[in-house]
Amino acid sequence: MNDYLSPLWISLKTVLATTAITFVLGIAAARWISRYTGKLKPVIDGIFILPLVLPPTVVGFGLLLFMGKHGWGGKFLALFNTSIVFSWPATVVSAAVMAFPLMYMTTRGAFEQVDTNIENAARTLGASEWKVLYSVTLPLAWPGVLAGTILSFARALGEFGATLMIAGNIPGKTATIPVAIYFDIVDGNMKQANILMIIVIGIALTSLALLAYLKRPKPRSSGLVANPVPSDILAAGKKRDISS
Amino acid sequence: MLKVEINRTLPGFKLDVALSVNGEVLGILGPSGSGKTMTLLCIAGLIHPDSGFIQLNDRVLFDSSKKLNLQPKDRNVGFVFQNYALFPHLSAGNNIAYGIRHQPKKEVDRRVQLLIENMGLSGLQNRYPSELSAGQQQRVAVARALAPEPDILLLDEPFSALDSLTKEQLEMQILDLRQFYKGHIILVTHDLAEAYRLSSRIAVYDTGKIAQCDLKEKIISSPVNRTVARITRFRNFMDGVITGITNKQVRVTVPDLDTSLIVAADGHTNLSINQAVTIGVRSEHVQAVAGPGQNTLQGTLSSTVENLASINCWFDLKTNKDNCYRLEAAFPRGTAATLSDGANCYLHLPPEQIVIITK
Repeated sequence: MNDYLSPLWISLKTVLATTAITFVLGIAAARWISRYTGKLKPVIDGIFILPLVLPPTVVGFGLLLFMGKHGWGGKFLALFNTSIVFSWPATVVSAAVMAFPLMYMTTRGAFEQVDTNIENAARTLGASEWKVLYSVTLPLAWPGVLAGTILSFARALGEFGATLMIAGNIPGKTATIPVAIYFDIVDGNMKQANILMIIVIGIALTSLALLAYLKRPKPRSSGLVANPVPSDILAAGKKRDISS
Repeated sequence: MLKVEINRTLPGFKLDVALSVNGEVLGILGPSGSGKTMTLLCIAGLIHPDSGFIQLNDRVLFDSSKKLNLQPKDRNVGFVFQNYALFPHLSAGNNIAYGIRHQPKKEVDRRVQLLIENMGLSGLQNRYPSELSAGQQQRVAVARALAPEPDILLLDEPFSALDSLTKEQLEMQILDLRQFYKGHIILVTHDLAEAYRLSSRIAVYDTGKIAQCDLKEKIISSPVNRTVARITRFRNFMDGVITGITNKQVRVTVPDLDTSLIVAADGHTNLSINQAVTIGVRSEHVQAVAGPGQNTLQGTLSSTVENLASINCWFDLKTNKDNCYRLEAAFPRGTAATLSDGANCYLHLPPEQIVIITK
């Protein structure tokens, strides 16, 4: 009866794992490329963004070839006597590949907006590159990083084409909500599809609310001054308030 | 002692400078794009010279021959950026404490308090940079750079974004710094007056090279070439030939003006007869006199501009060519009130105020 619980559970697991992976990889890649000055920069940048421009089924097919028995990835995994094709990890791999460009692009843009002088100031004050990243760059780029995270979360939640190609539709194992809905409709199981649709709308609305909550203006103010206004203007404003 | 000898080539620009600082304030003076800031960035390790050597006290920071290059974090160099580059997400107090967080909290609090008092920032500790005025931001930036007790403090045009009143106050503060900060200071500026007030020696930059580096008085009194003379506000230059040398005076003939000028010769030892030289006179040293005499030229007033403290006049001097020579003079306010355009004047160039430029 509770057939809709298994796609929900699989989707949640997949999306959370994917978001965590793209969060780390996206930040690492963005950090690396924004400081990389070699000739290959446009090429690497293009490769990172490629999954966003390709049709998901093409990415899925590519992953299938790569992760399959005869692909490099598959051969590598075979060394450890394992394979991910048509198993749960494949849903994470496909969603992560599809979501990565969004995290990478948004984060990179946010990193490049950070004033280099501010990062350099931290360096001259004895900060290691790692400390510069977590104490200066990430806090200053945070709105962009957060937007990238939400975008990749959304992309992972909606991932269908690539997942179907490499993970398939194994109920209770790899059938995420989008895949399950598709096959429910194909099978004429409309009630099931409706419930899954409502669940996915619920997840989407909840995550949007969470985003709005996290994106609320940070108290970057001492509380002494409501707006970033020079103190003399503020004093003048206060005087006006008293007189009126 | 800081010793710097660096080379850095960019497309269309080459930085090639050598300088040293020893417990003093060195002013680096030069026009935009002459490599002043690049020198500071090299010293701080934020960019790498192509080749060269940087030594700070007994530590070698950079040595291309030994492939030695210390990371910025290990150089112990204090840097105040032109735009201050405060951490916008940290309060003034936390900005200052950023570089000393590894110390015990008590010590951090003590040092931050001390700097806040010394820099006149009392009461602003909890404000964020966006809530501070430009002058306050600058003081936070200096305090932040001083917190880790750097061996050298680098100031990159720290006054360029300030109004003149704030600028004067902050200049006084930088001078007062010397009471509690004993390290070396390099001040980059494009303002001659600022460099003169704040530093003891000045290095004049010109397109990536040091044109002259000397005591500030020397820079003002005896520029080595026309570029330095221009940067140090000499306004009048004349090309001439040395036609007479005694032990007190040098006679320079200016062919274009059909005249000879007497120049006080102290300080010049390597001059010779028939040597081509340029002479320079500051506008404020030109004097209006009643009649002809030695070192006196005749000119007609062509235009005037009134300044706060002086009136600048441009005089056209007859030359033996088609054009005329334009001499700039700055008279103290009130003395030139009687002059009107087209007036004929006798202009005296005092021998001791004329400099001879041999290059």
